[in-house]
Amino acid sequence: MTVDQISLLLQRVAGGDRSAFEALYAATAAKLSGVLTRILGNKAEVDDAMQEVFIRVWQRSAQFRPERGAGMSWLIAVARNHALDRLRARPERAGLRQEVARDEDGQDPLDRVADKAAGAEAGLIAQGEARRVVDCFDELENDRAAAIKGAYLQGLSYLDLAERHGVPLNTMRTWLRRGLLRLRECLDR
Amino acid sequence: MSDTFQSDAWPPEDRDDLLAAEYVLGVLPAPERQAVAKRAELEGALQERIAAWENRLAMLNAAYEDGPVSPEVFPRVEAALFGGDEAPAPAGRRRFGWLWLSGTLVAAVLALAVVIWPQFPPQPAELVARLDGGALVFEARFDGAMLDIERSGPAAGAGQDYQLWAIGEDGVPRSLGLLRGDREALATDALGPGVTLAVSLEPEGGSPGDLPTGPVLAAAPLTSL
Repeated sequence: MTVDQISLLLQRVAGGDRSAFEALYAATAAKLSGVLTRILGNKAEVDDAMQEVFIRVWQRSAQFRPERGAGMSWLIAVARNHALDRLRARPERAGLRQEVARDEDGQDPLDRVADKAAGAEAGLIAQGEARRVVDCFDELENDRAAAIKGAYLQGLSYLDLAERHGVPLNTMRTWLRRGLLRLRECLDR
Repeated sequence: MSDTFQSDAWPPEDRDDLLAAEYVLGVLPAPERQAVAKRAELEGALQERIAAWENRLAMLNAAYEDGPVSPEVFPRVEAALFGGDEAPAPAGRRRFGWLWLSGTLVAAVLALAVVIWPQFPPQPAELVARLDGGALVFEARFDGAMLDIERSGPAAGAGQDYQLWAIGEDGVPRSLGLLRGDREALATDALGPGVTLAVSLEPEGGSPGDLPTGPVLAAAPLTSL
């Protein structure tokens, strides 16, 4: 299913169309489950989170604005935000998050971005744009790029990142912010 | 590089944008994360920054693999949203079930009145919509001439207004006016069943053009009672 169709389904859902909601679920549940599994790292919690996410999708579909971005991106943002809210509500203590960090398979996630740029989630976005994102991450220092990707894909917090990279929390925040400004400058170029 | 993080060490024009980026990445601790979410609910500009970062980083979404989907999830979602019955009525009518009942009584009395006084003007059916935007909800009621709309939730922030729009079959939003009070009555005759009402967050005084410029906070179609 293309991104366009997901946008259209979301707009029908905003009008209260339950058959569109069912079609939307069928088209996107596996991907959103993948997002939740990756961030929560705890499969037992995923079903619960899935239920919450789709309740929110129904309730907030009126807030989706197709001119702002793809329907799938909006759905993934809803899922990520919910997973992150759950994650941050857990008590942060050393070791707890290591389990999730292990989920990394050693492959650079951006390799997959480049591979899959023509896939459903990238949708209408041209291959060229995927290339540009990869290039912009390449312009960053390696550990800053890794920190940004790790945070986005796995939900690592500043505390997790500081531990991983062996730097004080405030240093971590300062250099991640510098990386974000560089990234923005490159992507908006 | 200093080890002390000072948020005011960053250029003022970048502070909100960095906060939006940190929110989207998800690195903030719970209290800061909640504070950003709360601000974004009412600040259109911050919402735009968050959306821009979501778009910048959306290409990373390709790295998420599909996950397992348990067959119990969707029935539970439906039960939570629509109740457990097989073929439930649309949400609007269920919520206003008792009103609908009293509506039929009113209709019966009116029908009788029409029979008794044939010159009595026919009463148009009342339409309702519940625009549920989470923390912000608008209940609208249209009697054929006046739209009565009541807000529950926070007022628009300083320098901002809520603006009400009607979207008909052509899909083009038409402004019905600003919603400044907790309850407003707007004179209009251009509404009917199926017309969608939507509230957007706009700069003070409303959208400068003919179309909404800010985020749509809540929307719902008008349905008969």
